[in-house]
Amino acid sequence: MLEIKNLHAKIGDREILKGLDLTVRPGEVHAIMGPNGAGKSTLSYILAGKDDYEVTEGEVLLNGESILDLEPNERSVAGLFLAFQYPIEIPGVATMTFLKAALNAHRKARGEAELTTPEFMKRVKTVAEKLNISSEMLKRPVNVGFSGGEKKRAEIMQMALLQPSICILDETDSGLDIDALKVVAEGVNALRSPDRAFVVITHYQRLLDHIVPDIVHVLSDGRIVRTGGPELALDLEKNGYAAYVADAAA
Amino acid sequence: MAATPARTPAEQALAARYPAERTSLPGTADVIAIRDAAFGGIEKTGLPHRRVEDWKYTDLRARLKTFPPAAGPADVARVLIARPAMEGDKARRLVVANGRYRPELSDLENLEDGLAVFSLAKALEAGDAAVLAALKLDEATAANTAVALNTAFMTDGLVITVADGAVVERPVEIVHIAEGEPAASTAVRHLVTVGRGAKLTLIETVESLDTVAHHSNIMTVIEAGEEADVDHIRLQLEPDEAVSMTTLVARIGRQATFDTFNAALGAGLARAQVFAEFVGRDAEAGFRGITMLSGRRHADTTLSLIHGAENCRSRELYKAVIDDEARSAFAGRIAVPAFAQKTDARMMTASLLLSEEAEAYAKPELEIFADDVQCGHGATCGAINEDLLFYLLSRGIAKAEAESMLILAFLGEAIDEIQDQAVHDALIHRVEAWLKTRASARKAGEPAA
Repeated sequence: MLEIKNLHAKIGDREILKGLDLTVRPGEVHAIMGPNGAGKSTLSYILAGKDDYEVTEGEVLLNGESILDLEPNERSVAGLFLAFQYPIEIPGVATMTFLKAALNAHRKARGEAELTTPEFMKRVKTVAEKLNISSEMLKRPVNVGFSGGEKKRAEIMQMALLQPSICILDETDSGLDIDALKVVAEGVNALRSPDRAFVVITHYQRLLDHIVPDIVHVLSDGRIVRTGGPELALDLEKNGYAAYVADAAA
Repeated sequence: MAATPARTPAEQALAARYPAERTSLPGTADVIAIRDAAFGGIEKTGLPHRRVEDWKYTDLRARLKTFPPAAGPADVARVLIARPAMEGDKARRLVVANGRYRPELSDLENLEDGLAVFSLAKALEAGDAAVLAALKLDEATAANTAVALNTAFMTDGLVITVADGAVVERPVEIVHIAEGEPAASTAVRHLVTVGRGAKLTLIETVESLDTVAHHSNIMTVIEAGEEADVDHIRLQLEPDEAVSMTTLVARIGRQATFDTFNAALGAGLARAQVFAEFVGRDAEAGFRGITMLSGRRHADTTLSLIHGAENCRSRELYKAVIDDEARSAFAGRIAVPAFAQKTDARMMTASLLLSEEAEAYAKPELEIFADDVQCGHGATCGAINEDLLFYLLSRGIAKAEAESMLILAFLGEAIDEIQDQAVHDALIHRVEAWLKTRASARKAGEPAA
């Protein structure tokens, strides 16, 4: 589903990804863990198409097609979704207007007609309720005045609406208390399906108690340095990243 | 010794026009004297250029290529067909076509108690003392070139009075229409008096049925009495070929509430001026506007506000969206005399540049002599925020549409201050149409027209 081959990328003169390989098959949940500065967020932004980064080598295939030349919106309608670590506030753009524009862009790409307003409202209401998102929140501009937890829940709501095939969750647990973490995890788990895959990027193991991964990778200094099962996350929680940082530096 | 500059073709046209027209323009000998004084000032200085501070960003001498002849009477049938009065129109429509008030095209039925509407031309012909008094302006305003041209050449306009205590709930809309070819000039003056405790919503639309280089010069003088509530909105919608000058003069009385909003959406060369003064204490006023520019258009917003009484509060917010090689200028000046304690004024202007070649100029000024005041000003200028744009794109929204959403959000802060819902919605509709045109041009890979 998602294949990353020998990906090298830099921002300015600084090389951040130094030959990253990752293969994600449908239905799988991969966790990418790693110390600060390992390149975790860079990877998520590059996959989503932020143009601050320059890919110097390698390729990224989504369902067999290269996406590196696609615009961010083209990647989105091709089925890629990034849940932001820091969802952005957009004053003046109503949440419902935004959701409708996004959903209709996806429908248009699939050659489907735009949703009627009642049908659209129904869909939003259904996904919002599951994530404890109030109608009052939906009336606000995009993410404006949302708490950290509300922003993360809103990201999962967008994901549920857009039904992507590959979901990248960038530090979705940061800034969440334990109750909010559960709500977000339940939202993600509800979307797990045999034809959808997840890449969960996180610094801590605790999110993985709730979203149980099939495969855990350690990202350090721009490369995947170790791959294992869920037990790897527990080991990292216990022993820290020191061994990997030392390895990468060596 | 400085050489006398040669007259430009526009100045030559003016010099030829005024002597030929002065006695056929409406008004008694007193009015002619006022016109002569105004034109004399222009003759003396010529058209202002960039070294004249008030016209620094809008060099009329360089930009005004011609000064077309006075407009003849409009083809009424054509105006009727193009802009039919609609059943259920929310606003009471008053039509000024080619610089002349047309009562037969206007809605004068069931005028509210206390609301009176009549023709300026008739009042000038009759030598109406109150109207003549209302033509008097302070020296600086009278000497302003756009104002002086208006005084010299005004053909007609509306005299609107709202009696003390009269609450006119239905908005009054003055529709200015230029009709016919070739290009012609119009000069219109409106005198609006809103009495003590009275209420009026006044909408002005300025448009043209033909895409030719009409010159329009519209000046509106509003006297807001004590405790009056006045809402003024202007939609300037002329074609790119047009030259548009609008001036609002407002005197705001004690405890009055006054708001004005200017939407500069049209004309290749547009200058919108506001000269306002608080003349009584404890009053509140809002001065706002949006400018949307593309192609090689140029728009100038010039605001001068005298906070001339104690404990008055004002808010100024002007936003401009500038595409292609267009150019926007804002000059705002707030003066607070020593006696105007407890003044509270906040002036903000923001420009959004949509292309590499777009230009924005901002000159906010505060001149404060009182010591117990809160005054602030700010000016920003920048491109569309890349992070906001990326977030929208990452959800599948195409770039042109995402940009439109962000531009609308940028302008919305000002537009959402418009109290009249119908006008608010109509303006949003215009803005969306502008954005749609831009978005489809972007998609086609061509510069927005």
